[in-house]
Amino acid sequence: MTHSMARFMRRCSSRFRPRALAAALAGVLAIAGSAQAAEPDLPGFIHDGTLTVCTNPTLPPMTFVNGTDVNAVDGIDMDIAHRLADYWHVPMVVTTMDFTGLFPSLAAQRCSMVASGIIKLPEREKNFDAISYQDTALVVVARAGTPRLSSMADLSGKTVAVQSGTSYSARLAQENEALAKAGRAPIIIQQYPTEDQVVQQVLIGRVFAFASQDVELYYRQEQLHGKVSVILVPPYPEYRHFALYIRKNAHDRELLEQAIATMGQNGQMAAIQKKWAISPDAAKALANTPAPPMFRWDTFFSALTSAAFMRGAFITLAVAVLSHFTAIMISIPMALALNGRDSLLKMALKGYVSVFRGAPTLLQLLFIWNALPQFLPIFREAWFTPFLATWLSLSINESAYQVEINRAALGAVDKGQELAGDALAMSRRQVYRHVIFPQALRIALPPTINEFISLLKTTSLASVISLQELLAVTQIQVARTFEFTEYYAAALVYYLAMVFFFLFLQKRVERRFAWADRHKATANES
Amino acid sequence: MNPDPKTMPDPSAMISVRNLSKLYKDFIALDRISFDVQRGEKIVVLGPSGSGKSTLIRCFNRIEPHDSGILSIDGRVINAQTDLTQLRATVGLVFQNYNLFPHLSVLDNCTLAPRLVKKTPRADAEEMAMRFLRQVNIAEQANKYPIQLSGGQQQRVAIARALCMQPEVMLFDEPTAALDPEAISGVVGIMNDLAQQGITTLCVTHEMGFARHIADRIIFMDKGRILEITPPAEFFTNPRTQRARDFLDQMISY
Ligand SMILES: Nc1ncnc2c1ncn2[C@@H]1O[C@H](COP(=O)(O)OP(=O)(O)OP(=O)(O)O)[C@@H](O)[C@H]1O
Ligand SMILES: [Mg+2]
Repeated sequence: MTHSMARFMRRCSSRFRPRALAAALAGVLAIAGSAQAAEPDLPGFIHDGTLTVCTNPTLPPMTFVNGTDVNAVDGIDMDIAHRLADYWHVPMVVTTMDFTGLFPSLAAQRCSMVASGIIKLPEREKNFDAISYQDTALVVVARAGTPRLSSMADLSGKTVAVQSGTSYSARLAQENEALAKAGRAPIIIQQYPTEDQVVQQVLIGRVFAFASQDVELYYRQEQLHGKVSVILVPPYPEYRHFALYIRKNAHDRELLEQAIATMGQNGQMAAIQKKWAISPDAAKALANTPAPPMFRWDTFFSALTSAAFMRGAFITLAVAVLSHFTAIMISIPMALALNGRDSLLKMALKGYVSVFRGAPTLLQLLFIWNALPQFLPIFREAWFTPFLATWLSLSINESAYQVEINRAALGAVDKGQELAGDALAMSRRQVYRHVIFPQALRIALPPTINEFISLLKTTSLASVISLQELLAVTQIQVARTFEFTEYYAAALVYYLAMVFFFLFLQKRVERRFAWADRHKATANES
Repeated sequence: MNPDPKTMPDPSAMISVRNLSKLYKDFIALDRISFDVQRGEKIVVLGPSGSGKSTLIRCFNRIEPHDSGILSIDGRVINAQTDLTQLRATVGLVFQNYNLFPHLSVLDNCTLAPRLVKKTPRADAEEMAMRFLRQVNIAEQANKYPIQLSGGQQQRVAIARALCMQPEVMLFDEPTAALDPEAISGVVGIMNDLAQQGITTLCVTHEMGFARHIADRIIFMDKGRILEITPPAEFFTNPRTQRARDFLDQMISY
């Protein structure tokens, strides 16, 4: 009761700052506060009474999807976030996104904090405050049976995979400078967007080793069935701590450190570490499980029929259909204007088309999701979901392509048709609605379906802004289980089914255009 | 016979034109044209290519707006304020290349405008369309698409389509120019029938039979001007201008 009242007060004062009222109420609060002496102070990063945690759930055991429900993020980081939310008596919300989106989202105030198994590093601390909560060590991992190395210099000339957006590549680049000075070949660095792909490169033998953290490896042993082993633990003084990141604020930092320290004292931290078995002993016990078969049909079929995949496919389909529909709606008046007389509007539209055809779709998505909120704070609010952002972004992008199709189709309708409509006293609207559009539609349909199929696949880019579409769901499942082939195959089946459905639809619709072909028109009649 | 250009248009005439001019940028396509067409009159417009025949008849339903002068149709002066729907329902136009709607059946080609513009119920529109399709001898093709018809058949459908708006004036712009001789006779036959029924007709055509025997008067144009307006008997036997004589010589030798 006192707690919610305190929160209410905080809101009031931040909005109106009624000094007199605040002073008067301070007395009341002092009485209430004395009864609630243990109540911890709320840090400023908790907006609207909610702890919003941003994470990229592809790094077990820190943060990952531990089941088929893509919205249920699990792991050490999530357990800690829950304990923090309990500590401050606020609800917690998890927002999942691509790793590269985490820090921009934190800066854009979309998150209270980033908890995503991220190492505490001085470079990151320039822009954000980092509060460590778990000790760790960087490990270099190769296929089981690879001899151990004595130093990082032994990696000279070998290929090492790292997750992009992590600091490993910068650290390896430092090693390369040292190698160059010594006149030796550099380490070849390959970057992959997800941790599971990094591991997969070693498993399939494309790269020699990968860099990761020990706790992850201990946990992964179960899925890797002893197929990899640590070949080197470089003596880096950094890479020793996982940290929670918040926007720079000395007071908030102190409060968060206090909270973590309290969890350390009351045994909550120890309980979490025990739950996730992040110790070398736990790893050894699991190393001897038998290797799995090449293709697990049961995994494949359960993925095919899982609610997670169906939901992912539905989101993919929904965002593609809505985006293309919107794009068509925008691009019809645009095409009419572009086919019309020269004007300022026409110039502006030409600019629009060039910009949105020129810029990569991925860049547009990232811009709308991460940069737009910097100019217009309204896009920072909760209503602007990844789905809406994708819809907006792909609609604009697609309209720039669709407008060319529409323009060509409208231009291909014989000018005499418009004249005939005019001569029959039809209004402008009637001429377009009943004479020009039906004929333009026939011309525009095949390229439009092609565009749509292409768009359906482009939606997979939206995983970078945390849209849980089909490919994002697939990757999360792969990160959890390491069953690449099975989940990729299931995703492929879904994509192909959707594409074939639309191709079939195209055939059906084209039958209605028999009027354009003498033989077909006659054949249809009989 | 030519009205004085300075007089006001004749309100009892079906079409009355005074000093009508039309420019394309600085090219004069129609140059101060004046004449009257009485109700039920049949006029054939002749003239060399580029003389402004199409431009002239397209001014009458304002598909080409004129730039100066006075144009009055059925007693109403036509200008930028004119209700185009009403004007175009009064004045039907048939094109050289038919311009049928390829995505609609013959029947739907004929019923589309009455249903949309005049809000005629579908059943009534179809009944009327079938009547006109029978009149142009093509009723049995009502459910076909234009692409399945020959050129002559398509032009007859185009005539039926224009008639479905029940116009008081029919404009024809070289309706037979794209047809082979056999198809021509069919279309000319229908135009003869229409003429017998007394509908006011303006026809741009090189069909000498129609011009000689059906037309009440011939309008001969050159370079955007009217050089002669005379009954066919006079025009074909005794043209007044050298230009018309040359034109006729060419027609015959061709
Ligand atoms: N939209 C236009 N823009 C510019 N000039 C035009 C346009 N339409 C017609 N003209 C010109 O106006 C003149 C008259 O054209 P119009 O089509 O009326 O001639 P016509 O007598 O019908 O010729 P034809 O017998 O070849 O059909 C021509 O010189 C033509 O080039
Ligand atoms: Mg012409």
